[in-house]
Amino acid sequence: MASLTMYPEDERLSGGNRAAFNLYIVTAVILFVLMMLVGLTMRMTQARWLDVPPDLFYELLSMHGAGMVGTMSLATTAVMWFFLRKYVHLHLWAFLANYVLFLLGALCIIVSIFVYGYGALWTFLYPLPVHGVGMWTADSSALFMLGYLLIGVGSLLFYLDAAAAIIKVHGNLGRALGLQWLFGGKIDPDHPKAVVASTMVIIANSLGILAGAVVLVMSLVNIFYPQVVLNALVAKNLIYWFGHMYINATIYMGVIAIYELLPRYTGKPYPISRPFLWSWAVSTVFVVVVFPHHLLMDFAQPRWLAIMGQIVSWGAGFPVFLVTAYGALTNIYRSNIRWTMPSRLMILSMFGWAAGIVPAILDGTIRINSVMHNTQWVPGHFHFYILLGVLAMALSLMFHEIGSRAHAAPDSRADRLGFPVYLIGGLIFVFGFLDGGRVSVPRRMAEHLQAWTFSDRIGSIGAILVVLAMLYFAIRITVGLLKPPSPSWAPEPVPGPIPEPVPSPLVSPAPSPGVVGVGTTNAAG
Amino acid sequence: MVLQMLVQIPLLALAGWWLAPLLTRRIVDTFSTWNRSGISGILLASLVAVVWMLPRALDAALETSWVALAKFTSVPLLVGMPLAISWPRAGFVVRGVWLVEAIAMAFRLGWLYTVSPARLCSNYLLGDQRQTGKVMLAIGVAACLLLAWKLVWGHNRIERVR
Repeated sequence: MASLTMYPEDERLSGGNRAAFNLYIVTAVILFVLMMLVGLTMRMTQARWLDVPPDLFYELLSMHGAGMVGTMSLATTAVMWFFLRKYVHLHLWAFLANYVLFLLGALCIIVSIFVYGYGALWTFLYPLPVHGVGMWTADSSALFMLGYLLIGVGSLLFYLDAAAAIIKVHGNLGRALGLQWLFGGKIDPDHPKAVVASTMVIIANSLGILAGAVVLVMSLVNIFYPQVVLNALVAKNLIYWFGHMYINATIYMGVIAIYELLPRYTGKPYPISRPFLWSWAVSTVFVVVVFPHHLLMDFAQPRWLAIMGQIVSWGAGFPVFLVTAYGALTNIYRSNIRWTMPSRLMILSMFGWAAGIVPAILDGTIRINSVMHNTQWVPGHFHFYILLGVLAMALSLMFHEIGSRAHAAPDSRADRLGFPVYLIGGLIFVFGFLDGGRVSVPRRMAEHLQAWTFSDRIGSIGAILVVLAMLYFAIRITVGLLKPPSPSWAPEPVPGPIPEPVPSPLVSPAPSPGVVGVGTTNAAG
Repeated sequence: MVLQMLVQIPLLALAGWWLAPLLTRRIVDTFSTWNRSGISGILLASLVAVVWMLPRALDAALETSWVALAKFTSVPLLVGMPLAISWPRAGFVVRGVWLVEAIAMAFRLGWLYTVSPARLCSNYLLGDQRQTGKVMLAIGVAACLLLAWKLVWGHNRIERVR
């Protein structure tokens, strides 16, 4: 069970671990600000407040897409590593190898875009990368794909190291997922949720990376030997298997922060339960096969794949989300939660995840998809759950960790101002997209008609607020992380729950009150 | 084509694997300092295997006797044997990377062989090539399922870290 001590000893970062974690987080927050500025530039161009030429717009769109997905993966990988290392022995070299390969991959992508003009977007959909019509060369596309390969190899190394460590402790990935307790038996209350979530990510994202490794190399073969013509539909399926899985995995890595940190701020245990294990087991399968919902408009797609895409879309996000959101709400209920930056961000992330799923499920319905998929409804959905969901999860750990330097969760006046700016700006920004979708404004277009600019301008105003808030967060987190670690980690008291919590059908009975309180350490750690 | 690529060459590598125990301890130890975690041996085996993935090399092995001799000696001695020596030394990550890449390569070559409009080997017809491609795709799927089964449900040594 997750610790109730605010800063437990087994989480303390020192030496190489601290340097590596700081590298990840500082790099991530800097990249987030830069990629947000790129996004703001595009939004203001669509709003006709800036005059960015279309070729540069598509370069920026390629950079924003690839950069945000990669950076989100980098940040949430740090979340997974931070908590998983308490339960299994992870090697620092694998964590660092992932970072180095990410940087090399990012360098390839940046050079391919800003030096050689690649503009075929982050999805590199075949055969667009080889048809630059004078704006970019096939070689620049090859460099972009090489960047993806390097990033994918880095992730794979990290996952393999994590898989090895988990298998060493739990025997196999099935036992780590808790499959042995699905139909009965006494669930080990100390079985870490971080291990369950990490195992799911390892299984699902490794398969996605495998699909990516196949389609990226085949696209490279096509670039250098154009006579080898690929089946565009097969290539698109593999690209979305890889791409969807890669970004989807970020939420499942990020949510580990909720499982681990929320009980510390509520002071109430957040025990593991059978519905929790079921939800993660079902989602492990569903997230692997949900990608066809990206191809509902492809008329040549086999009918059964499209139907599977719709049905699984309805079910894929729900199990884990419902159990997590319900579990989080019951954990908060009558808990006397301490409202600081990490706890605010955690609750925001639950809202962002919940609300972001709604437009996704609507778009995952074939009838609606055929009308909405090429509109701004889709960026409205994914910005909703990534900006207000996943990023908020990652930020909650970052703020929590800088609090370890001062032995108190951060909650300065500037923090209290930055949070609503981020929330309100984020909402204005995503509703700008969703409203654009409602009135059928197309997505991915560099130039917008005058009639479309209302939602673009609203979105741009929201984006400005988000960038300002994120700039503040980035500075606050960077400065906080670079402060020297505190000399001692004396545990501080956590607020106890208000007596007689309402029992939840989704969580096991709470342990005796004796486990909650000052100095409680993680039984599994 | 199926017989040469997917039966004969793997069997030659297997023969090399079975020959490995005949090597004296001294020989194995001599190379062990250059084979930490089995990485050098696996790399050697992979590079030699790459040569025998090239259509031109397969053609030459059928047409030229010295190339055929090179195949019959290099695959057991430079693929099977190094793999047999290095595999037990390799950790989970090294094995994992190698297996994932092997599966990905089976899918890539299978895809390539089924869509290539030209005959890649002059000794085999287009139909043979496509048949080989389909078999490689099937091998990729089977290996993937087997690996997933082993990882999710397999029996492995459990070690309490903390």
